[in-house]
Amino acid sequence: MVRMGELATSTDPGAVLAAIGLGSCVGLALIDRGAGVAGLAHIMLPADTGGSVQPGKFADTGVPALIERMAARGALRVRLEAVLVGGAQMLGAAGNRLDVGARNEAATRSALTRAGVRIVAAETGGTTGRTVRVRVGPGEVSVKEAGGAVTALWPAAPAQMGVAA
Amino acid sequence: MSGYTDLQLDALRELANIGSCTAGTALSGMIGRAIDVSVPQALALPLPDAVDAVGDPGQDVTGIVLPVIGDVEAIVLMLFDAADEACLCGLLGAEPAGELGRSAMSEIGNILSASYVRAFGAMTGLELEPEPEPPILLHDMRGAIVASALAPTSGGAGVALLLDSDLRIEGEHCNFTFLLLPTAAGVDELLLRLGVAG
Repeated sequence: MVRMGELATSTDPGAVLAAIGLGSCVGLALIDRGAGVAGLAHIMLPADTGGSVQPGKFADTGVPALIERMAARGALRVRLEAVLVGGAQMLGAAGNRLDVGARNEAATRSALTRAGVRIVAAETGGTTGRTVRVRVGPGEVSVKEAGGAVTALWPAAPAQMGVAA
Repeated sequence: MSGYTDLQLDALRELANIGSCTAGTALSGMIGRAIDVSVPQALALPLPDAVDAVGDPGQDVTGIVLPVIGDVEAIVLMLFDAADEACLCGLLGAEPAGELGRSAMSEIGNILSASYVRAFGAMTGLELEPEPEPPILLHDMRGAIVASALAPTSGGAGVALLLDSDLRIEGEHCNFTFLLLPTAAGVDELLLRLGVAG
Protein backbone atom coordinates (compact mmCIF):
# COMPACT_ATOMS: atom_id res chain seq x y z
CA MET A 1 0.00 0.00 0.00
CA VAL A 2 1.47 3.33 -1.08
CA ARG A 3 -0.32 6.08 0.82
CA MET A 4 -0.45 9.78 0.06
CA GLY A 5 3.06 11.22 -0.25
CA GLU A 6 4.76 7.82 0.01
CA LEU A 7 6.81 5.87 -2.49
CA ALA A 8 7.71 2.21 -2.69
CA THR A 9 9.77 -0.16 -4.83
CA SER A 10 9.82 -3.93 -5.04
CA THR A 11 11.66 -6.80 -6.71
CA ASP A 12 9.33 -9.47 -5.30
CA PRO A 13 7.59 -11.04 -8.34
CA GLY A 14 4.51 -11.82 -6.22
CA ALA A 15 4.14 -8.32 -4.81
CA VAL A 16 1.45 -5.81 -5.73
CA LEU A 17 1.99 -2.09 -5.16
CA ALA A 18 -1.25 -0.15 -4.82
CA ALA A 19 -2.39 3.43 -4.35
CA ILE A 20 -6.04 3.44 -3.32
CA GLY A 21 -8.27 6.43 -3.95
CA LEU A 22 -6.19 8.74 -6.12
CA GLY A 23 -8.16 11.93 -6.64
CA SER A 24 -6.13 14.96 -7.58
CA CYS A 25 -3.03 12.97 -6.58
CA VAL A 26 -0.98 11.24 -9.28
CA GLY A 27 0.13 7.64 -9.03
CA LEU A 28 3.40 7.21 -10.92
CA ALA A 29 4.38 3.62 -11.70
CA LEU A 30 7.88 2.86 -12.96
CA ILE A 31 8.75 -0.55 -14.36
CA ASP A 32 12.06 -2.08 -15.44
CA ARG A 33 11.22 -5.45 -17.00
CA GLY A 34 14.88 -6.33 -17.53
CA ALA A 35 15.73 -5.99 -13.85
CA GLY A 36 12.34 -7.12 -12.53
CA VAL A 37 11.90 -3.94 -10.48
CA ALA A 38 8.74 -1.88 -10.10
CA GLY A 39 8.01 1.27 -8.13
CA LEU A 40 5.05 3.44 -7.29
CA ALA A 41 4.86 7.03 -6.00
CA HIS A 42 1.67 8.68 -4.67
CA ILE A 43 2.30 12.32 -5.58
CA MET A 44 0.18 14.96 -3.89
CA LEU A 45 1.39 18.38 -5.06
CA PRO A 46 3.41 19.73 -8.00
CA ALA A 47 6.38 21.26 -6.17
CA ASP A 48 8.10 21.25 -2.82
CA THR A 49 7.85 24.68 -1.23
CA GLY A 50 9.69 24.17 2.03
CA GLY A 51 12.31 21.41 2.08
CA SER A 52 9.97 18.62 3.14
CA VAL A 53 11.41 15.44 4.63
CA GLN A 54 9.01 13.45 2.48
CA PRO A 55 10.18 13.70 -1.15
CA GLY A 56 7.41 11.42 -2.44
CA LYS A 57 4.79 14.07 -1.77
CA PHE A 58 5.86 16.37 -4.59
CA ALA A 59 6.32 15.80 -8.31
CA ASP A 60 9.57 17.76 -8.53
CA THR A 61 11.26 15.77 -5.75
CA GLY A 62 9.25 12.53 -5.93
CA VAL A 63 10.12 11.62 -9.52
CA PRO A 64 13.93 11.77 -9.02
CA ALA A 65 13.58 10.05 -5.63
CA LEU A 66 11.63 7.13 -7.12
CA ILE A 67 14.10 6.79 -10.02
CA GLU A 68 16.98 6.73 -7.52
CA ARG A 69 15.28 4.03 -5.39
CA MET A 70 14.67 1.98 -8.55
CA ALA A 71 18.33 2.36 -9.59
CA ALA A 72 19.45 1.22 -6.14
CA ARG A 73 17.56 -2.02 -6.81
CA GLY A 74 19.24 -2.53 -10.15
CA ALA A 75 16.93 -0.68 -12.55
CA LEU A 76 18.39 1.13 -15.57
CA ARG A 77 16.97 4.54 -16.41
CA VAL A 78 16.86 3.81 -20.17
CA ARG A 79 14.73 0.72 -19.60
CA LEU A 80 12.18 2.44 -17.35
CA GLU A 81 8.57 2.58 -18.45
CA ALA A 82 6.44 5.19 -16.71
CA VAL A 83 2.65 4.91 -16.28
CA LEU A 84 0.62 7.82 -14.91
CA VAL A 85 -2.76 7.48 -13.19
CA GLY A 86 -4.88 10.10 -11.43
CA GLY A 87 -4.66 13.87 -11.51
CA ALA A 88 -8.44 14.19 -11.60
CA GLN A 89 -10.19 17.51 -11.19
CA MET A 90 -12.08 16.69 -8.02
CA LEU A 91 -12.99 20.01 -6.42
CA GLY A 92 -14.73 22.48 -8.68
CA ALA A 93 -13.82 24.11 -11.94
CA ALA A 94 -10.50 23.82 -13.75
CA GLY A 95 -8.02 26.53 -12.85
CA ASN A 96 -9.69 26.91 -9.46
CA ARG A 97 -7.16 27.20 -6.62
CA LEU A 98 -8.35 23.87 -5.22
CA ASP A 99 -7.80 22.06 -8.50
CA VAL A 100 -4.31 20.62 -8.21
CA GLY A 101 -4.92 17.51 -10.35
CA ALA A 102 -3.92 18.97 -13.72
CA ARG A 103 -0.90 20.72 -12.19
CA ASN A 104 0.20 17.47 -10.54
CA GLU A 105 0.04 15.67 -13.86
CA ALA A 106 1.91 18.43 -15.74
CA ALA A 107 4.64 18.60 -13.09
CA THR A 108 5.05 14.81 -13.07
CA ARG A 109 5.29 14.67 -16.86
CA SER A 110 7.91 17.41 -17.01
CA ALA A 111 9.96 15.84 -14.21
CA LEU A 112 9.95 12.54 -16.17
CA THR A 113 10.98 14.35 -19.35
CA ARG A 114 13.84 16.05 -17.49
CA ALA A 115 14.96 12.65 -16.22
CA GLY A 116 14.73 11.11 -19.70
CA VAL A 117 12.11 8.52 -18.72
CA ARG A 118 9.47 7.64 -21.31
CA ILE A 119 5.77 7.61 -20.49
CA VAL A 120 4.19 4.51 -22.03
CA ALA A 121 0.62 4.84 -20.77
CA ALA A 122 -1.57 7.23 -18.81
CA GLU A 123 -5.08 7.43 -17.48
CA THR A 124 -5.39 10.91 -16.07
CA GLY A 125 -7.69 13.91 -15.78
CA GLY A 126 -11.47 13.68 -15.71
CA THR A 127 -13.40 14.15 -12.50
CA THR A 128 -13.34 10.64 -11.01
CA GLY A 129 -11.04 9.08 -8.44
CA ARG A 130 -9.00 5.99 -9.31
CA THR A 131 -7.08 3.14 -7.71
CA VAL A 132 -3.88 1.91 -9.36
CA ARG A 133 -2.24 -1.48 -8.86
CA VAL A 134 1.17 -2.57 -10.11
CA ARG A 135 1.90 -6.30 -10.26
CA VAL A 136 5.65 -6.44 -9.90
CA GLY A 137 6.37 -9.83 -11.53
CA PRO A 138 4.59 -9.34 -14.87
CA GLY A 139 5.07 -5.55 -14.76
CA GLU A 140 1.34 -4.96 -15.22
CA VAL A 141 -0.54 -1.81 -14.28
CA SER A 142 -4.31 -1.85 -13.76
CA VAL A 143 -6.74 0.92 -12.92
CA LYS A 144 -10.13 0.96 -11.24
CA GLU A 145 -12.30 4.06 -11.39
CA ALA A 146 -14.70 4.85 -8.54
CA GLY A 147 -17.81 2.77 -9.17
CA GLY A 148 -16.20 1.05 -12.17
CA ALA A 149 -14.47 -2.21 -13.06
CA VAL A 150 -10.75 -2.99 -13.04
CA THR A 151 -9.14 -2.41 -16.45
CA ALA A 152 -5.66 -3.29 -17.66
CA LEU A 153 -3.72 -0.16 -18.56
CA TRP A 154 -0.22 -1.48 -19.28
CA PRO A 155 1.02 -3.43 -21.14
CA ALA A 156 -1.53 -2.34 -23.72
CA ALA A 157 -3.88 -4.87 -25.31
CA PRO A 158 -2.27 -6.48 -28.42
CA ALA A 159 -4.41 -4.48 -30.87
CA GLN A 160 -3.08 -1.23 -29.43
CA MET A 161 0.49 -2.37 -29.03
CA GLY A 162 1.72 -0.60 -32.17
CA VAL A 163 0.17 2.69 -31.09
CA ALA A 164 1.42 2.57 -27.56
CA ALA A 165 4.97 1.66 -28.52
CA MET B 1 5.52 14.83 16.45
CA SER B 2 2.14 16.39 15.72
CA GLY B 3 3.40 19.95 16.11
CA TYR B 4 0.48 20.93 18.33
CA THR B 5 0.34 20.61 22.12
CA ASP B 6 -2.42 18.78 23.99
CA LEU B 7 -3.66 22.14 25.29
CA GLN B 8 -3.96 23.45 21.74
CA LEU B 9 -5.75 20.33 20.51
CA ASP B 10 -8.13 20.55 23.49
CA ALA B 11 -8.95 24.16 22.62
CA LEU B 12 -9.58 23.23 18.98
CA ARG B 13 -11.71 20.26 20.06
CA GLU B 14 -13.84 22.55 22.19
CA LEU B 15 -14.26 24.91 19.25
CA ALA B 16 -15.25 21.99 17.03
CA ASN B 17 -17.70 20.86 19.70
CA ILE B 18 -19.49 24.20 19.68
CA GLY B 19 -19.44 24.26 15.88
CA SER B 20 -20.87 20.77 15.48
CA CYS B 21 -23.53 21.28 18.17
CA THR B 22 -24.66 24.42 16.35
CA ALA B 23 -24.68 22.50 13.06
CA GLY B 24 -26.62 19.66 14.73
CA THR B 25 -29.25 22.12 15.95
CA ALA B 26 -29.59 23.53 12.44
CA LEU B 27 -29.99 20.03 10.96
CA SER B 28 -32.52 19.15 13.64
CA GLY B 29 -34.60 22.19 12.67
CA MET B 30 -34.41 21.14 9.03
CA ILE B 31 -35.56 17.52 9.41
CA GLY B 32 -37.58 17.75 12.64
CA ARG B 33 -35.56 15.07 14.46
CA ALA B 34 -33.22 15.21 17.43
CA ILE B 35 -29.53 14.97 16.55
CA ASP B 36 -26.83 13.43 18.73
CA VAL B 37 -23.46 15.06 18.30
CA SER B 38 -20.43 13.09 19.49
CA VAL B 39 -17.56 14.84 21.21
CA PRO B 40 -15.37 15.75 18.25
CA GLN B 41 -11.82 14.61 17.75
CA ALA B 42 -9.00 17.05 17.05
CA LEU B 43 -6.36 15.03 15.26
CA ALA B 44 -3.01 16.33 14.10
CA LEU B 45 -1.58 13.56 11.95
CA PRO B 46 0.99 12.99 9.22
CA LEU B 47 -0.91 13.26 5.94
CA PRO B 48 -1.09 9.55 5.02
CA ASP B 49 -2.38 8.75 8.53
CA ALA B 50 -4.91 11.59 8.27
CA VAL B 51 -6.41 9.99 5.15
CA ASP B 52 -6.57 6.59 6.88
CA ALA B 53 -8.11 8.08 10.05
CA VAL B 54 -11.20 9.17 8.13
CA GLY B 55 -11.97 5.62 7.02
CA ASP B 56 -11.47 2.98 4.29
CA PRO B 57 -9.99 4.95 1.38
CA GLY B 58 -11.38 2.58 -1.25
CA GLN B 59 -15.04 2.76 -0.20
CA ASP B 60 -17.43 4.69 -2.46
CA VAL B 61 -19.07 7.51 -0.51
CA THR B 62 -20.81 10.81 -1.07
CA GLY B 63 -18.85 13.90 -0.17
CA ILE B 64 -19.92 17.50 0.19
CA VAL B 65 -17.07 19.99 -0.05
CA LEU B 66 -17.30 23.66 0.88
CA PRO B 67 -14.32 25.98 0.89
CA VAL B 68 -14.26 28.46 3.79
CA ILE B 69 -12.92 31.94 3.13
CA GLY B 70 -12.09 34.91 5.32
CA ASP B 71 -9.57 35.21 8.16
CA VAL B 72 -9.05 31.45 8.17
CA GLU B 73 -8.87 29.34 5.04
CA ALA B 74 -10.26 25.87 5.40
CA ILE B 75 -12.38 23.23 3.73
CA VAL B 76 -15.53 21.78 5.24
CA LEU B 77 -15.95 18.17 4.19
CA MET B 78 -18.99 16.03 4.94
CA LEU B 79 -18.92 12.30 4.16
CA PHE B 80 -21.91 9.97 3.90
CA ASP B 81 -22.12 6.34 2.90
CA ALA B 82 -24.93 5.29 0.58
CA ALA B 83 -27.31 4.21 3.38
CA ASP B 84 -26.82 7.44 5.32
CA GLU B 85 -27.41 9.53 2.22
CA ALA B 86 -30.60 7.59 1.45
CA CYS B 87 -31.77 8.06 5.04
CA LEU B 88 -31.13 11.82 5.06
CA CYS B 89 -32.76 12.30 1.66
CA GLY B 90 -35.69 10.18 2.83
CA LEU B 91 -36.25 12.43 5.81
CA LEU B 92 -36.43 15.35 3.38
CA GLY B 93 -38.72 13.44 1.01
CA ALA B 94 -36.19 13.10 -1.79
CA GLU B 95 -34.71 10.19 -3.78
CA PRO B 96 -30.94 10.23 -3.26
CA ALA B 97 -30.10 9.53 -6.91
CA GLY B 98 -32.40 12.15 -8.43
CA GLU B 99 -32.09 15.88 -8.95
CA LEU B 100 -34.12 16.50 -5.81
CA GLY B 101 -31.73 14.34 -3.81
CA ARG B 102 -28.73 16.27 -5.07
CA SER B 103 -30.43 19.50 -4.18
CA ALA B 104 -31.38 18.20 -0.72
CA MET B 105 -27.78 17.15 -0.04
CA SER B 106 -26.47 20.53 -1.24
CA GLU B 107 -28.91 22.28 1.05
CA ILE B 108 -27.83 20.15 4.01
CA GLY B 109 -24.24 21.03 3.13
CA ASN B 110 -25.01 24.73 2.99
CA ILE B 111 -26.92 24.90 6.24
CA LEU B 112 -24.61 22.72 8.30
CA SER B 113 -21.40 24.31 7.12
CA ALA B 114 -22.75 27.85 7.49
CA SER B 115 -23.88 27.23 11.07
CA TYR B 116 -20.65 25.41 11.98
CA VAL B 117 -18.40 28.05 10.49
CA ARG B 118 -20.36 30.99 11.93
CA ALA B 119 -20.17 29.44 15.40
CA PHE B 120 -16.38 29.36 14.92
CA GLY B 121 -16.45 33.02 13.92
CA ALA B 122 -18.59 34.03 16.89
CA MET B 123 -16.30 32.20 19.34
CA THR B 124 -13.05 33.59 17.97
CA GLY B 125 -14.03 37.00 16.61
CA LEU B 126 -12.73 35.94 13.19
CA GLU B 127 -14.57 36.62 9.96
CA LEU B 128 -15.36 33.27 8.34
CA GLU B 129 -17.84 32.38 5.65
CA PRO B 130 -18.44 29.36 3.46
CA GLU B 131 -17.69 30.35 -0.12
CA PRO B 132 -20.90 31.82 -1.58
CA GLU B 133 -21.24 29.10 -4.19
CA PRO B 134 -23.17 25.85 -4.22
CA PRO B 135 -21.27 23.08 -2.42
CA ILE B 136 -19.32 20.57 -4.49
CA LEU B 137 -21.14 17.24 -4.38
CA LEU B 138 -19.03 14.16 -5.17
CA HIS B 139 -19.67 10.45 -5.42
CA ASP B 140 -16.24 8.90 -5.26
CA MET B 141 -13.74 6.85 -3.28
CA ARG B 142 -13.36 8.19 0.25
CA GLY B 143 -9.58 8.38 -0.07
CA ALA B 144 -9.78 10.34 -3.33
CA ILE B 145 -12.14 12.90 -1.78
CA VAL B 146 -10.20 13.30 1.48
CA ALA B 147 -6.78 13.44 -0.19
CA SER B 148 -7.97 15.97 -2.76
CA ALA B 149 -9.28 18.20 0.02
CA LEU B 150 -6.11 17.80 2.10
CA ALA B 151 -3.72 18.52 -0.79
CA PRO B 152 -4.62 22.23 -1.19
CA THR B 153 -5.25 22.89 2.52
CA SER B 154 -2.18 21.17 3.96
CA GLY B 155 0.07 22.56 1.24
CA GLY B 156 3.63 21.47 1.87
CA ALA B 157 3.06 20.88 5.60
CA GLY B 158 3.74 17.40 6.87
CA VAL B 159 0.89 17.38 9.36
CA ALA B 160 -2.82 17.80 8.74
CA LEU B 161 -5.29 18.92 11.38
CA LEU B 162 -8.65 17.16 11.28
CA LEU B 163 -11.55 18.40 13.37
CA ASP B 164 -13.80 15.38 13.13
CA SER B 165 -17.41 15.31 14.41
CA ASP B 166 -20.01 12.57 14.09
CA LEU B 167 -23.66 13.55 13.82
CA ARG B 168 -26.29 10.89 14.43
CA ILE B 169 -30.01 11.22 13.78
CA GLU B 170 -31.97 9.91 16.75
CA GLY B 171 -34.23 6.98 15.97
CA GLU B 172 -32.46 6.21 12.67
CA HIS B 173 -29.36 4.21 11.78
CA CYS B 174 -27.98 7.29 10.17
CA ASN B 175 -24.82 9.15 11.00
CA PHE B 176 -22.19 11.01 9.07
CA THR B 177 -18.79 12.61 9.39
CA PHE B 178 -18.28 16.34 9.44
CA LEU B 179 -14.69 17.52 9.01
CA LEU B 180 -13.03 20.91 9.10
CA LEU B 181 -9.65 20.95 7.38
CA PRO B 182 -7.93 24.29 8.02
CA THR B 183 -4.68 25.39 6.40
CA ALA B 184 -1.62 25.50 8.70
CA ALA B 185 -1.85 29.31 8.71
CA GLY B 186 -5.55 29.00 9.53
CA VAL B 187 -4.78 26.78 12.53
CA ASP B 188 -2.24 29.32 13.80
CA GLU B 189 -4.83 32.09 13.52
CA LEU B 190 -7.43 30.03 15.41
CA LEU B 191 -4.92 29.19 18.18
CA LEU B 192 -3.94 32.85 18.48
CA ARG B 193 -7.58 33.86 18.97
CA LEU B 194 -8.11 31.06 21.47
CA GLY B 195 -5.17 32.38 23.49
CA VAL B 196 -3.09 29.20 23.10
CA ALA B 197 -0.72 30.19 20.30
CA GLY B 198 2.54 28.24 20.25
